[in-house]
Amino acid sequence: MVSVINTVDTSHEDMIHDAQMDYYGTRLATCSSDRTVKIFDVRNGGQILVADLRGHEGPVWQVAWAHPMYGNILASCSYDRKVIVWKEENGSWDKMYEYTGHESSVNSVCWGPYDFGLILACGSSDGAISLLTFTGEQQWDVKKISNAHTIGCNAVSWAPAVVPGSLVDQPSGQKPNYVKRFVSGGCDNLVKLWKEEDGQWKEDQKLEAHSDWVRDVGWAPSIGLPTSTIASCSQDGRVFIWTCEDPTGNTWTPKLLHKFADVVWHVSWSITGNILAVSGGDNKVTLWKESMDGQWACISDVSKGQGAVSSITDTQQSEQ
Amino acid sequence: MRLKEIQRTAHQAWSPASHHPIYLALGTSAQQLDASFNTTAALEIFEMDFADPSLDMKLKGSLPTTNRLHSIVWVNFGLGADGTGGRLVSGSENGAITVYNVEAILGSAADAVVGQSDKHTGPVRALDFNPFQSNLLASGANDSEIYIWDLNNFNNPMTPGAKSQPAEDISVVSWNRQVQHILASANPSGKAVVWDLRKNEPIIKISDHSNRMHCSGMLWHPEVATQLVLASEDDRMPVIQMWDLRFATSPLKVLENHTRGILSISWSQADPELLLSSAKDNRILCWNPNTGEVIYELPTINQWCFDVQWCPRNPALLSTASFDGKISVYSVMGGSLEGQQQSSVDKISSSFDNMDPFGMGQTLPPLQVPQPTAQTTIVPPLKKPPKWVRRPVGASFAFGGKLVTFENPPPAPAQSPQPVPRQVFVSQVTTETEFLQRSRELQAALQAGTFVHYCQAKIQSAPCDAEQDIWKFLMVNFEDEARVKFLRLLGFSKDELERKISKCLGKNFQPNGHGVDAKDLAEKMQLLSTERADEAGAVSDTGSTSPTDFFSQIPQDKPSFQIPISSDTDGLISQALLVGNFEGAVDLCLNDGRYAEAILLSISGGEELLKKTQQRYLETQKNSISMLISSVVTQNWRDIVQSCELDNWKEALAALLTYAHPEEFAPLCDTLGGRLETEGTEKRSLQACLCYICSGNLEKLVECWAAQRDCSSPLVLEDLVEKVMILRKSIERLRNSEVPLQSPTLAEKLTCYAGILAAEGSLATAMAYLPDDSHQVSGTGALVFSLHASRCLPTPLIRTHCKSYVLAGNVRTYCTSYVIVRAYIKGAGYNWCYQRNLYFSL
Repeated sequence: MVSVINTVDTSHEDMIHDAQMDYYGTRLATCSSDRTVKIFDVRNGGQILVADLRGHEGPVWQVAWAHPMYGNILASCSYDRKVIVWKEENGSWDKMYEYTGHESSVNSVCWGPYDFGLILACGSSDGAISLLTFTGEQQWDVKKISNAHTIGCNAVSWAPAVVPGSLVDQPSGQKPNYVKRFVSGGCDNLVKLWKEEDGQWKEDQKLEAHSDWVRDVGWAPSIGLPTSTIASCSQDGRVFIWTCEDPTGNTWTPKLLHKFADVVWHVSWSITGNILAVSGGDNKVTLWKESMDGQWACISDVSKGQGAVSSITDTQQSEQ
Repeated sequence: MRLKEIQRTAHQAWSPASHHPIYLALGTSAQQLDASFNTTAALEIFEMDFADPSLDMKLKGSLPTTNRLHSIVWVNFGLGADGTGGRLVSGSENGAITVYNVEAILGSAADAVVGQSDKHTGPVRALDFNPFQSNLLASGANDSEIYIWDLNNFNNPMTPGAKSQPAEDISVVSWNRQVQHILASANPSGKAVVWDLRKNEPIIKISDHSNRMHCSGMLWHPEVATQLVLASEDDRMPVIQMWDLRFATSPLKVLENHTRGILSISWSQADPELLLSSAKDNRILCWNPNTGEVIYELPTINQWCFDVQWCPRNPALLSTASFDGKISVYSVMGGSLEGQQQSSVDKISSSFDNMDPFGMGQTLPPLQVPQPTAQTTIVPPLKKPPKWVRRPVGASFAFGGKLVTFENPPPAPAQSPQPVPRQVFVSQVTTETEFLQRSRELQAALQAGTFVHYCQAKIQSAPCDAEQDIWKFLMVNFEDEARVKFLRLLGFSKDELERKISKCLGKNFQPNGHGVDAKDLAEKMQLLSTERADEAGAVSDTGSTSPTDFFSQIPQDKPSFQIPISSDTDGLISQALLVGNFEGAVDLCLNDGRYAEAILLSISGGEELLKKTQQRYLETQKNSISMLISSVVTQNWRDIVQSCELDNWKEALAALLTYAHPEEFAPLCDTLGGRLETEGTEKRSLQACLCYICSGNLEKLVECWAAQRDCSSPLVLEDLVEKVMILRKSIERLRNSEVPLQSPTLAEKLTCYAGILAAEGSLATAMAYLPDDSHQVSGTGALVFSLHASRCLPTPLIRTHCKSYVLAGNVRTYCTSYVIVRAYIKGAGYNWCYQRNLYFSL
């Protein structure tokens, strides 16, 4: 069952492009073609406008909340080629950092796992991906992967800090050996995996299956199981679920979740990683779940925040 | 940003939108010669591989042609199932229209030309295919010739109506994008004619009063059926006019910015607010035709570009064909040209031999290619973000099973005064309806204390007998005389048994009591032992069949007797008795196999002797009931639970329920359960669970239950938690105190359970299940727990958890602690330094 518990009237003056809840699910950040970012307090079904952040000079594509451990921090990226990191200090929101190192629209921002500190990945239409790391004292270290996706990067998503399966076989007394990894999708129809080695970012894998722009990628949260999972969606209407059970992370297998009639813009995993929300160009939002035998089934069609949920078995029966 | 480039003097056609990968077809242009005065002609197909950062295009197929071209289109007709292939149609300088099979060109097959017609009398400059019926193609040439071709029947073209007079060249034909039978044609004199193919006549003529429009291009609006644009090649009037057929007297809008005549226009099908134009002022502009604003100027063009085209598949790309013999592909999304410029410089430079080309004995300096400064600077993207980058919809999950969604309604008509509501929905996603329902029921029962009622409901709805048994056992715990009721559940009823015994004794009376049914004997033995203080047979009624009387009858069988004093056993016994040496007499009896006498004598000989005798008797007996008798008599139940056949688990449990002391009862039940469990079958495991329920051992119950099942599924977990919580309540009732949940397995399961509850949005309930000593939780459960729990626990509580955890020395492994502490810290969001100190103190 998907039921609306709060309808937030954002008063944005143009298209909304992203809406994200903070870590605790108490605040909502939205961004729009009207060049603003807004933050609402949505506790107990309310909708109090906390901040109206102006600073971008073009449509704002995405917002991302940093881990609350570092304070109340929000990153936004825009067509104006800028990335702005906003911070709440004594109840008021201000710019903490502005990054202008991209040469074209910045389409995606994603904070890395908190284990790595404050680190932000940004994907741009100039084909590059920037990694911005807060080094303290208002200093940010910038690393840039040029030409990550030749004619533009549309999406970035970090891998969980926990190495797959590490909770299962971690020898006691050892600190888990974390590797920074993330996935990106671009206009070259590719999904690429990146890995930091000796402080350098390297292309780790190149996943080919889509026949048009990859619009979004999402690395599923780890619940300690030894499988890594990534979802990718594309202009070609297809959504693929990529899995890797190989501990070295080299063998990724795609599984077609579904081919939609229209472009698929966005994929989002639930916190427990068992449900995938897919949003398409026909204004359709669908929820997908993997059955015990590894098949993906649509469990819900969400329209205006409402929808019924069918169990997986029902869905399969109706399909047969 | 320039992506690809090749030296060709050619007309171009992109592959259709369905085609993957993206191809570009190039056909040698007519009336243009390159510097080598090469007069050969060819049709070539290149692949645009954008994963390859170089400027090179990959040649995929080529075909020499006899004619040079004025126009070429790639038609959707005859596409393969995967959207590839199709037809290329070219119009040449001598009036020929040729249809090529793309597949054949790519495969270098001989039969690439699938149709050709010389119907036109002059150069074919205009070609367009119908967007609705891809087999229909319109062509225009000189002398007002317009033909409609059907690719299914290529040899007999139709005309859209009578030729317009006076006869003129047709420079453009264009199909309407909304109404399939509407075609427009335009000529250099500036007139445009709209034809209705159903009526087979022109329906409207558009003409500017200035008479200066020299139409080089005409396009229908991609979305508005009545609008079209005309581009003028005349240097005196280098404009684009936008017309609406509803007011066809003067143009709706005039786009002015070019300083010399416009050569080519292209309207993006992906975003009607993007119109490209190239002109003789060497500029390529992108307009928003709705506002008349120039929103982009393509950099780096130093030459007339006679053809510009949006890529149908990748909306950010366009190709240009210029008179300096270059075909280039650009992206309008901006970006740096630096990298690629550099590589082209290197290429030019390295194409000369720097070492010593003139044999002068000295190396030349590297070639300095002058770089226009504009090329190295950053090229800004389109001023107006194109439609295809504006994400209209989104759905993102948030903590607690919440889903945040938004959708943007299709743009309302511009006149609409009502502002569009821009809403974001926050929804609760619950997928485990049954799980939540059951957890609510459980929670209600736990809070209201209506356990018996809850158990009864469970018994009624139990899907199988085993489940029903378990709930019956659980319910008994809440009732008085639990043990008796357990016995009854196991199938042992005291009343029932007494009836059976009476029946048995009435029918098969046997003085020799060996070999009777075990229960029977047990009963007898019990009576014996309870009444052992009485003198056996002191009072009796002859003929009575009661067990007590049975024993008392024995001495009455001999009315008179003599006392033997011989030296045989009998004699020795009587002598021993006469002197009161009970021990000796009993020894003698036992030695002679006279067990009954031995027992009788030892009763008189005192408690100690009786015990000894019982023991010696039992040692000699090796039949099936002796163990039971032995246990009953010696009160040693450990032997039973440790060595009975597992099939007799019920009997063993019954014996425990009947006899075992309260303090021994639980460990003995556990031992029995443990044995059942080790067999590993599902049946035994259920039986073991019953044992654990009797003993009230939460931990064992959880372990045993979990060992047989994959508890990752919410409902299976719910099954377990229901039992555990109910059992816990019953124990609390018995002990009158709270029962802590100490077992790591249990804590982990509850954590998992709380995790699912949290994910389904039941945060408060989830908190109720979080174990107090959650630091013992390891593995996945811990992570799920921390992910969820840490977010809903109030900060002071986390601090307490965290502190107590750090202070507790009993951490299981560093790893676990790391994960948990990390989780707490993560959730807390308070003073990080303080936490970090704690953390490192680990």
